[in-house]
Amino acid sequence: MSPDLSYVVVRSHALMADLLTPEQIRTLAEQESLDGFVERLANTPYGRISIEAEGEISIALEKVFYQKFIERMMAIVDLAPKNIGDFLQSYYYLRFEVVNLKRIVRGKFSGLPTTQIVESLIPMTPYSVESYEDLASTETYDDTVRRLKRTPYESLIDSLELSEKYDAIWPVEIVLNHLYASAVFKSLEPLPQRDRTLVRRIVQAEADVENFLVAAKQRGARERTHNPEEMFPATYGIGLDILRETIEVDDIRLVIRKLDWPYIEILAPLYTGDVALIRSRLRQHICSVARRGRAANDFGFNVVMAYLVFSEIEKDNLVGIGWGITQGITSEDILKYLAIPHFE
Amino acid sequence: MSATIGIRPTKSFLMEIKRRIGYIERGTEFLKLKRDHLAKELTASIEVLKGRRSLLLENLKVAYRAVTASYISLGPTEVRSQVSSIKTGLELEVLPRSVMGVRYPFIKVAKEPQIAGELDITLSEAAEKVLAILDDIIQLAEFEARAERIADELGKTNRKVNALENTIIPSYRQVIKFIEDKLDEESLEELVRMKLIGGTLGRQRE
Repeated sequence: MSPDLSYVVVRSHALMADLLTPEQIRTLAEQESLDGFVERLANTPYGRISIEAEGEISIALEKVFYQKFIERMMAIVDLAPKNIGDFLQSYYYLRFEVVNLKRIVRGKFSGLPTTQIVESLIPMTPYSVESYEDLASTETYDDTVRRLKRTPYESLIDSLELSEKYDAIWPVEIVLNHLYASAVFKSLEPLPQRDRTLVRRIVQAEADVENFLVAAKQRGARERTHNPEEMFPATYGIGLDILRETIEVDDIRLVIRKLDWPYIEILAPLYTGDVALIRSRLRQHICSVARRGRAANDFGFNVVMAYLVFSEIEKDNLVGIGWGITQGITSEDILKYLAIPHFE
Repeated sequence: MSATIGIRPTKSFLMEIKRRIGYIERGTEFLKLKRDHLAKELTASIEVLKGRRSLLLENLKVAYRAVTASYISLGPTEVRSQVSSIKTGLELEVLPRSVMGVRYPFIKVAKEPQIAGELDITLSEAAEKVLAILDDIIQLAEFEARAERIADELGKTNRKVNALENTIIPSYRQVIKFIEDKLDEESLEELVRMKLIGGTLGRQRE
């Protein structure tokens, strides 16, 4: 283990103590008012957070938690050896950039004002493009995508034809998902073989579940009959045959029963129609993959990855709790859709 | 008493007042019929409203739970971003309708939002649940507005009937009685005067 890696591993172990315990998450979700939530959060490593007075509170809270997560991630990237730092940057920054690009593309597609599009973006410095504001301020949706020429997202321009054909943005979103997954797998290459397994498992599970959900959604829209090859340019653990069957079959349970673990468990809420629970189960699965990876190698890259995985899930949980409290949702309803990591 | 101030106690005015009270009484009868019909309509509407509302509340809970789950699962900004990509939104047309002269809004769905394609499955399922009860929500809103306006009109009609029965008609009756009394008094005076003149003329002849 290189001295740089050992330092970042030790630091990740130490930072793990800053993560909220399941008990703290539950206590935060049980708060009946936003003041109570902010007050409780002030007693955690997050400290007293300040929320922008203008705009909607839940959106302002979401931005705060994203910023906190990006700060945590950058603190690790700054300390990590180059190969790990590069990988983490492309894993997280690319992911957030893809989310921002989707939001810009959606905004342009529906003709939202530039300010509204920019406000909806994750607060981060652009990673592979020059400026989000420039992209958001183009004349048309078509111009926005074409402006991505000479960036890693250049292949999105080819998806415009399909997008025009269906008068929809899903072809662009699918290519973005594919670009993200390919870039992550490529950035894994400089990492040692043993370190790749954990990330592969996480990215594959995410991509497989997303593909399956897209296929499951197509079941209700057979009249448009999109071509499965166009819809799923890359498949991993769940192959194209299964995805095609998912679109065509009458009873989706027959397909889910054929899947291997963990998909059979993650996708089970489709039986009852509680689709939101699938993402919560996916997050729980990612948590357990990270926990097992850390248990297998408590002195290497897995510890760093586990810390960031738990941090990101914590961020998602806090965003959900913040929104739930502002809407007066009961703690049981909030907690049902959270994935609370047990990282000790 | 005030109803009789400035009244001309003449036969022609008495006939005019009697004609007017005839109209007023017939009008009151019509208003009573309208009141009874509106009351019947309102009772029936409330019964239907109760049933529909409890049924809708159950479906609304299911839809609201699905929307809540989407927000918690995807985050509020992502939900808004995805929703903004829906090009064709809901378009409603509000037309007027009337029952017993009471106007109420009739809502027609001109265009339904096209949610297929652009939304994540979580949000798409929630949107479908909301769309499935959209007609019920609109019908209930329409029914509530109808019941509200009928109740409003019933209140107004009831106040009119009460005012006519308890104030206007009695005051007219009072006026009629006053004029009749006056006319009786005048005719009695006239009779006495005639008798006195007759007596005086008879004595002169003798």
